Amino acid sequence: MRLADARALVPDLVTTPGEPQADHRLIETLANWCDRYTPWVSIDPLGGALAEEGAEACSTGGFGGDAGLLLDVSGCAHLFGQGEVGERALLADLTDRLSRHDLACRAAMADTAGAAWALARFAERQADLFCPARGHRAALAPLPVEGLRLDAPIVETFLKLGLRRIGDLYPLPRAPLARRFGDQPLTRLDQALGTIAEPIEPRRTPPAFRTRLAFVEPVGRPEDIAAATSRLLAALCRQFEQAGVGARRLEIALYRVDGSVDRTAIGTSRPNRDNPKLMKLFEEKLGELDPGFGVELMILAAPEVEAWDGTQDVLPEQGMLAASLSEEGTIDLADRLALRLGAENVVRLLPRDSHLPERVQTSGAAATPAAAGAWQRTAGMKGARPTRLLQRPEPVDVTAFVPDDPPSVFHWRQHAHRIVRADGPERVADEWWRPRPDGSRPPANTVPPYRDYYRVEDDDGGRFWLFRDGPYRMAANGRPSARWFLHGFCA
Amino acid sequence: MPVISPNALAPPAANDAAGPVATALREKVRRLERAHSAERAGQQAVPLGIPAIDALLPNSSMGGGSVGGGLLTGALHEIEAGPAPSGRVAAHDGAALGFAAHLLGRFGTLRPGTILWCRRPGAADAPPYAPALAAWFDPARLLMVTVRRDEDLFWAMEEGLRAGLAAVLGETRATDLTAGRRLSLAAEKSGVPALLLRAQPAPPQSVCTTRWRVAPAATHSTPGLGDVGAPRWRIELRRNRFGVPSVTETPTWFLEWNDEAHCLSVVPQAFDGSTREVETRLVG
Repeated sequence: MRLADARALVPDLVTTPGEPQADHRLIETLANWCDRYTPWVSIDPLGGALAEEGAEACSTGGFGGDAGLLLDVSGCAHLFGQGEVGERALLADLTDRLSRHDLACRAAMADTAGAAWALARFAERQADLFCPARGHRAALAPLPVEGLRLDAPIVETFLKLGLRRIGDLYPLPRAPLARRFGDQPLTRLDQALGTIAEPIEPRRTPPAFRTRLAFVEPVGRPEDIAAATSRLLAALCRQFEQAGVGARRLEIALYRVDGSVDRTAIGTSRPNRDNPKLMKLFEEKLGELDPGFGVELMILAAPEVEAWDGTQDVLPEQGMLAASLSEEGTIDLADRLALRLGAENVVRLLPRDSHLPERVQTSGAAATPAAAGAWQRTAGMKGARPTRLLQRPEPVDVTAFVPDDPPSVFHWRQHAHRIVRADGPERVADEWWRPRPDGSRPPANTVPPYRDYYRVEDDDGGRFWLFRDGPYRMAANGRPSARWFLHGFCA
Repeated sequence: MPVISPNALAPPAANDAAGPVATALREKVRRLERAHSAERAGQQAVPLGIPAIDALLPNSSMGGGSVGGGLLTGALHEIEAGPAPSGRVAAHDGAALGFAAHLLGRFGTLRPGTILWCRRPGAADAPPYAPALAAWFDPARLLMVTVRRDEDLFWAMEEGLRAGLAAVLGETRATDLTAGRRLSLAAEKSGVPALLLRAQPAPPQSVCTTRWRVAPAATHSTPGLGDVGAPRWRIELRRNRFGVPSVTETPTWFLEWNDEAHCLSVVPQAFDGSTREVETRLVG
């Protein structure tokens, strides 16, 4: 029905312009909020709130709008009570809280996603919204065929053929139905009845371990939040011990009374299940959380866990002469530094077997240092190396008497350095066995490009590491084709 | 010149009655001056291996009566890159870094564990190069931290000091007195040596225990060739708390690093072809 027709029918119709973006944001906020019941939350892909801009027609069918969420609450209802009582209580709690936020909604619970979808939109009576276990076949029968999530042409044909209820489809033979309408009606029917599984794709990966703490009265003070975090952490660590794992990432979510959710996370470089250490990492991050008007629920989840390798933990001793740090202690320090500075800024130096000086040193994770003595082997094979290496070699202007000789004067950053002593050249050739950055390989039987490195000392005693990029050759314009660069500073 | 002793100041008549008071006062003074004789519990002095320099550095409380002193472990030491002899600003601080690496190596042989290196990269970034550092200590022990602000650098160094590592080094240009004081307090409490590496000389006020100014010096080539010899540095000890007062204001040495023997030694001036005037320290 078009808006003009609707206005003609009801002259004092109240209309507001649709805001699809705001609707989208609202449904995402609701999906985040529903995380408190179960991590398996997905936004209904057939929701009307996701329509494109400019659609004037309002959608048909069902009660109210089409925006919806699908929650998989298997195994989550025990928090509200045992068995069916708990499930009913969960449904009532969900509806109750959403209506407190002035959202008109209908929630239905059934054994399958398809049945719940249909019941939420088309169930006539309030009592039908909760479908007891294994009762979905009977509950679906009186619902209209639109509840099967079929395409509009198929629904139209069904209505023309007189198939108005889902129950009318039950006795029909399947093969002619498939021939006439394709496999969509049968798939949807099987999904609604549970013959075919229809898993929900959660918006965020469900964590393996979760603990929750609900408050009778909303809390807001930082000390209370910290105390609650430590209780949750203790419970979670007990779960870790039973499962034999350690956490790599922990995430805490605060559900505020106004319906919004605030989250923060910590990460460790090795699986950890020690309560004091994890609490210390959390203390820094808890300060960033904003309790708003009050927090009514806190959920601590472990999205990433790893098998625990069972080493005993040793706390570093405090004291005037601190004992030398065990490996665990260094990992904890690295975790604390990475928490504030970023994990890519706290690294170990690893040697790489390469001719090119800039490739010899790489960085690796803080938890995996190089083997003791690995650097000795790499460093011992080369000549004297600079104590500082420039990330990008800087071009310098050089005057050299004889082409192959070390330079006699070089200009760098507007200073002229007169060279009194020099070592070299040390020829470092490109590694022909590695592909070039664009993926091609150097052609065979050619001399790979090389650099000639010189270690020079100027009249002030400063020592530099220069290189000439290529052999000394005169280019067509009469100037030397190879350029000189400054690569590092020597001790 | 007669040495003034506390006893001489006490009134002679009330000597007996003031006995316990004087003792209490002396104890109080000693506690106030406790750092002056480096009587910190558990502090060790790591010798540099050069008798001429070690003689000036403070002794450790343990092993009293040893030959010479050394760098205190629970203290803040500063190393700055000094200007060239011609007066020009140093082109780079490679020499200061080499000396800092040498100190880290000396600390590292005494204390096993990780060495924390914090730096703040500038526009033309020149990070330390591990194959050269391998001459002084094993770079596998390094934990390299890159920060974007000076506050983060000092914070990271404090965390490292509190965690009880082998040594902590930070490269900075900041001259924050408060941060320096916090670092030296944290170092004292935990007994971990802290080093600050500066590319430019810092203002004189500071709380560091020792301050070294390092400038590169001309090397001695192999006779006949014009090659670069073993690296040489001109070291000035500009500040030496708790140490032995020296004859000159800032004792200076020319040191040479011998890669094969892995040792730092004083360059005898007679063989150095330079004609610069230097103040030599006579070991008597």
